[in-house]
Amino acid sequence: MTVTIGWYMSLAAVLFAIGAAGVLTRRNALVMFMSVELMLNSVNLTFIAAAKELGLVEGQVAALFVMVVAAAEVTIGLAILVAVFRRRASANVDELSELKG
Amino acid sequence: MNNASFLAVAPEVILLAGALLVIISAVMLEHSRKEWGFIAGLSFVVAMVLSVLQWRAVDTLIAEGNDLLFFSARNLPVLRLPMVVMDHYSAFAGFVLFAVGLLGLGAAWRLVERLGSRGAEFVTLVLLSVAGLHMMTMSANIIVMFLGLETASISFYVLAGFTRERPESDEAAVKYFLLGSLASAIFVYGAALLFASTGSTSFYGAGGMKNFFVTTILGEPGVLLLGIGFVIVGLAFKVSAAPFHQWAPDVYQGAPTGAVGLMAAGVKVAGFVALGRILIGALPSQIDDWAPILAIIAGLSMIIGVVLAAVQTDVKRLLAYSGVSHAGYIMMAFVAGVDGIGPMLFYVTVYAVTLVGAFAIVGVVSRHSSGGSPIEDWSGLSRRSPEMAWSMLILLLAMGGIPFTAGFVAKLSSFTAAASADYLWLTILALLTTVVGLYVYFRIAATMFLNAPDEDAPAIEAPTPARMTIAAVVVTVVVLGVDPWPLLDLVREALPL
Repeated sequence: MTVTIGWYMSLAAVLFAIGAAGVLTRRNALVMFMSVELMLNSVNLTFIAAAKELGLVEGQVAALFVMVVAAAEVTIGLAILVAVFRRRASANVDELSELKG
Repeated sequence: MNNASFLAVAPEVILLAGALLVIISAVMLEHSRKEWGFIAGLSFVVAMVLSVLQWRAVDTLIAEGNDLLFFSARNLPVLRLPMVVMDHYSAFAGFVLFAVGLLGLGAAWRLVERLGSRGAEFVTLVLLSVAGLHMMTMSANIIVMFLGLETASISFYVLAGFTRERPESDEAAVKYFLLGSLASAIFVYGAALLFASTGSTSFYGAGGMKNFFVTTILGEPGVLLLGIGFVIVGLAFKVSAAPFHQWAPDVYQGAPTGAVGLMAAGVKVAGFVALGRILIGALPSQIDDWAPILAIIAGLSMIIGVVLAAVQTDVKRLLAYSGVSHAGYIMMAFVAGVDGIGPMLFYVTVYAVTLVGAFAIVGVVSRHSSGGSPIEDWSGLSRRSPEMAWSMLILLLAMGGIPFTAGFVAKLSSFTAAASADYLWLTILALLTTVVGLYVYFRIAATMFLNAPDEDAPAIEAPTPARMTIAAVVVTVVVLGVDPWPLLDLVREALPL
């Protein structure tokens, strides 16, 4: 059996769905953020698989850019989460409930 | 490199240089707030002038029969793809974004002064975010668009949590960050699927998406459809269209008021312009696929935005929900395809300017630099500060779409666009929700003009920069309402390539 591009794309889609489900169902801000990272990695996998299949270098370049952006997001995101954690000693998003109406 | 290819990125260069200068001056000089304001203001003004020059340059390039409006890294063979594009569309969007940046900074100036030495970071982030927003509008490649989107979004996450000594501000930052990064991930997954199905990340050029559909009919359009869907959902999140709007009220309420106007208005302009770039610039042949998706999102946004705005007791949250409904009105112009670009640009320009002005007034009226602005704070405003009350009234009328304000023309042209594309149900829905929307805006107006002021209400003092912002916005809204024709002619020309 050969592994065709369809398998890679499907794997990426499954990873993306797991990540999205994680963001929507988990209540710990750190775990939610990890789920977003999982989604970004599934994006990378899609880019790489398509680039290999199409014989284009564009997709690989795109994956590099996505990695850089993910790293920048981690920097800012962890800073924000640490600021919240210091005040509340909890990373549970359900406790962030001052804003509502 | 020639002059035109430098001009294409010149506004970004100016804004980034301005951002660096602000940081340097904050380190080198003490008490240099005036200098930051001067540098940032000058950067925005120069960028606006450069947008005008870009518009002219595009005119000459077209007149010369030159189609080299794309700019790519020519010396690298593998990267010979269009990366950025300079056309009337990006020049127009740039002018609006830089104007919004300037007005937003004016509205935020009191906050910058209160922040002390941290104010320099605030100004820097404002400059960086506007540069990112403009990069979204001038991208000829979906990865460049993603980079612009992230540059702006990451700056906005920080701006939302900037007054970190207040608990509601960091709560807003967390919510914006988590849902914003989810939206970015969805957007870029859509980009990956578009790449997988069309074989290009570029919109234009020989192998770009636009030409791909001229020559090819996809055997299995499923991946492409998913890609379009994800890209739309990602951008709908950013412009807070329903059902992806849940973050907006919390973020607007919690974020420092000075920053909200710029964040909300800038992201709406760039988000919708980017959407037009992808859908109408690159995928015009797939209109039958994406127009229904947009129509449904637009319809939902109008209903949800107006209904939830009607029950709010906080002006910032109310403006957030009204923003959701306005996102619907703007999005409905897209169903007309390329004919909808003009109405969309007009509406988004008017709305962005109105929103910056409205949040500038909220910043003047509310007691704290961040947190909510409960509607009780507004009672009797006409007696405490008549000029603020009247300015707010004009902006509310513009949002409601009353004639002789720019909001009326904007709504009219957007509704006409949808009706001429045979989306009658959407047009009727828009008319109905507009009527309900009037109630929302008149409720604030009634509180301002009919209720007696609280006895212990603090005096309203408007700092000069905020006053100038508000005055500029009110004049723009009224002038465009009375004589919209020059701008209407301008947006008719501002089509994506």
